[in-house]
Amino acid sequence: MSPRRVPKKAPKAEPGPGDLLINDPILKTISRAAFALVILFALLLLWRGHNAPGGGFIAGLMTVGALILHRIANGDSALRADPTKVIPWGLALSLTTGLVPYLLGGPFLKSDYGYITTALTGEFEWATALLFDLGVFLVVVGVGLSLAYDLIEVQPTERVEGDG
Amino acid sequence: MTLAVLLPFVMAAVCGLLAGTLGRRSGYLAALGFVPALLLAVPLAGNSVEVGSTPQTQLTNWVPELGLNFVFRGDGFSLLFAVLIGVIGALASLYSVAYLSERERFGRFYPYLLLFGGSMLGLVLSDNLVALFAFWEMTSVTSFLLIGLWHTRSEARDGAIKAFLVSALGGLGLLAAVALLSVAGGSTNLSELDLAAVRASPMFVPALLLTLLAAFTKSAQLPFHLWLPTAMEAPTPVSAFLHSATMVKAGVVLVAKFGLIFGGSALWGGIIVPLGLATMFWGSWRALKQTDLKALLAFSTVSQLGLLMALYGLADPEGRFAATTHLLNHAAFKAALFFVVGIIDHETGTRETFRLSGLRRKLPLTFVVALLATLSMAGLPPLGGFISKELFYEAMLHAGPGFIAVAVIGSALTLAYCARLIRIFFGGFEVPLDDGGQPLKPAIHEAGPGLLLPPALLAGAALLFGVWPASAEWLARRAGAALAFAEYDGHLLLWHGVTPALLLTVLTWGLAALLVWQAARVYFFQVHLESPLSSNRGYRALLGGLDTFSSRLIAGTQGLALPDQLRITLAAAGLMGGYAVWRAPQVFQPFEALPLSTLPIAVLLVAGALGVLLSRNRLTAVVLTGLTGFGSAVAFLSMRAPDLALTQLLIEAVTVILFLLVFRYLPGFRSLPRGRVRQVIDVGLAGAAGIGTTLLILASIRFLSPPISPYYLENAYKAGGGKNVVNVILVDFRGFDTLGEIMVVAMVALAVGSLVRLGRRGEARSERDTAPATQDLLDLQKRRP
Repeated sequence: MSPRRVPKKAPKAEPGPGDLLINDPILKTISRAAFALVILFALLLLWRGHNAPGGGFIAGLMTVGALILHRIANGDSALRADPTKVIPWGLALSLTTGLVPYLLGGPFLKSDYGYITTALTGEFEWATALLFDLGVFLVVVGVGLSLAYDLIEVQPTERVEGDG
Repeated sequence: MTLAVLLPFVMAAVCGLLAGTLGRRSGYLAALGFVPALLLAVPLAGNSVEVGSTPQTQLTNWVPELGLNFVFRGDGFSLLFAVLIGVIGALASLYSVAYLSERERFGRFYPYLLLFGGSMLGLVLSDNLVALFAFWEMTSVTSFLLIGLWHTRSEARDGAIKAFLVSALGGLGLLAAVALLSVAGGSTNLSELDLAAVRASPMFVPALLLTLLAAFTKSAQLPFHLWLPTAMEAPTPVSAFLHSATMVKAGVVLVAKFGLIFGGSALWGGIIVPLGLATMFWGSWRALKQTDLKALLAFSTVSQLGLLMALYGLADPEGRFAATTHLLNHAAFKAALFFVVGIIDHETGTRETFRLSGLRRKLPLTFVVALLATLSMAGLPPLGGFISKELFYEAMLHAGPGFIAVAVIGSALTLAYCARLIRIFFGGFEVPLDDGGQPLKPAIHEAGPGLLLPPALLAGAALLFGVWPASAEWLARRAGAALAFAEYDGHLLLWHGVTPALLLTVLTWGLAALLVWQAARVYFFQVHLESPLSSNRGYRALLGGLDTFSSRLIAGTQGLALPDQLRITLAAAGLMGGYAVWRAPQVFQPFEALPLSTLPIAVLLVAGALGVLLSRNRLTAVVLTGLTGFGSAVAFLSMRAPDLALTQLLIEAVTVILFLLVFRYLPGFRSLPRGRVRQVIDVGLAGAAGIGTTLLILASIRFLSPPISPYYLENAYKAGGGKNVVNVILVDFRGFDTLGEIMVVAMVALAVGSLVRLGRRGEARSERDTAPATQDLLDLQKRRP
């Protein structure tokens, strides 16, 4: 266990039954490096989803994987918020991107896009569909994580001799 | 009109957000939400509601392809009712500011109240039948929330659920009626229905019956009246708003408006008039028995709604004129009385008639208000209620002798319970005591202006309608063109000579005097005559029966061991595949040869599947299952579908992780003993399911109509601005599907979460969990005024 790392949320001193704090230094070290990489890659997938393989659903699943890894390796959640509370925000974002064009007189969920050219970035496309996809991303992250956390944290009623 | 409907919804959001900082003062904001509804009084007073002029309509498109739009139509009746909702809504909001305790959850109360108000306004103004149904359902949902506001009390929960179930039943009826009407009448707008086509259609009678189901459940007519008395668990301002003037009258509005469609049929009046009168009699009979003032008013409302129903059910100009007049009178006096009961409860701490007496001395102003409102309800001169009761008798005289007898007895009972109600103000004052003989409140004093003003205004209106009947007549006649009674030449008069109606009134007074004189005997008789046919008992039996039925159904289908359930599922898959082959034999046509590169993938998939069969250990089994998943991902890649491959890969990874997390809690992995016959059956089932699924997929890739994909490929970049066609389909072309899917996914997460947490709480459920709940309940009882 690396002495320099001070966990932001103090992990439980005694891992209880069913607690998945493994305390494996190799897993911890790898997870720290992998976590950042995977999250960055997931965000890249989200961003480019409109024009290349990727999108909110895929990016969300990847983020869930990274966060579960972090949770298992370090015993605390990398996400400060309660994941179930992320879900309604995602839904609200997707719904809003659908409602705004409707209120402006267009059909529900009509997306818009355009191009901005700046000296630094060259031609750059914006699309309201990205906001919709961001909502999907948030929902998937919230759902996946709340499922995983629930299953990690649930207290086993009876510890049965497993075979794993 | 659109603004009048929209603003309450907007204000609901505002109130919800600001409730934390504003506290009880958010009630002023709520009252503000009803201002546009009040302003509808301007078009109401104008010429656009006169005969011969076209009412103003406002249209907002929703789904025009389905004829589903917000069409608000300002005919006289709708506007009159909208203004009524605005007045009572604003008064109830203001009254609540003074009535509710500082600790009330204002962040819920006012938003719910406003949501209800907005739905109700939408309901009365909507000309589009589908939107009308939507608003109708919204009033059911919001009234459920309002009745269950104090949800820690089990009575409030019961009352809310009962109200919701009963009105949801009616809602289903309305949906079906609306569908039948719009198909038969060729339009989804009420004013554009082809009436001749509807009347000639075979759907006429079903639509009529379904409409009546909706109206009777909402307006608490026999035998659906059972929800209204228990709905009194709501805070008193809510009762004044919902259960006197607005929601319960939604059914009356329906009968009034749809009466123009169905009125010609003998069935319409033949059902409504007897049932309405029966309800009127039964409601007043039960009201006479109540000792709780609010329960008395609840049954009285049931009774008055029956009267209104019977009048509109006559479907002639005379009945409609009388009903509209009484609608106004009833809204004024009943809301005022609910407010008065709220004051009594607030100041004395009880609503039980036997604990209260001589309140006239302590609450003189409340007494005046209560007296005016009660006299109007009793139908005594010179209040508005007297005049509309005379009209009621006139109309019933034309309907038949049996009807008039019920009407007179019901009215006499009404007069008798009014006497019971007002008696708490007379006699010597005694400090109200609780069961232990202790005073409920240290000192009793008159209510403040915040509580007194709303009922005083309404009682003033009730008086005005009586002493200056032309005012009520002017208001009622605003609805004349819309409800087709403009030609009717009767007038509202306090004295119109010695008519049969007046003689009947005198007879009513005599009967009522007898009832009041023998009050003790009547009460004794009522207590000892328990109804053998109680709707409540029927409701409980029905609920219990449904419970038993569903648990038996679950036990019969879900109680099997996991292998048995799998066998059922697999057998179904095999059967479906077989059916597909039988219906679509073209799957056996030769298909193009697959490229050789798919062979390794197939080997990988088969190896994974075989591995699962042979594994002796759950972990191995899961990893090998994952292998088949990854194999499909590779297959997607080989078909140049990177998005699908990526999704498949990630889903597989996350699923394996979730599997592993669950496995910690499963019992050991072992083969169940089974005989050789079972084994053969299982192999057969698995094989049939596999072949069946394969055939299904093969059948589904044969295009029966031209494929849609070229359209997507062509338009993805043009219309959606994206080069990734799959993503453009997901977020743009089929964005609505995606939205629905993420909603389903979110619901699944909530369901799984509550299941897992339920199991966790199960162990801790002992003193620790029950203690705070009891504390909450005690707090609430203290908080309850």
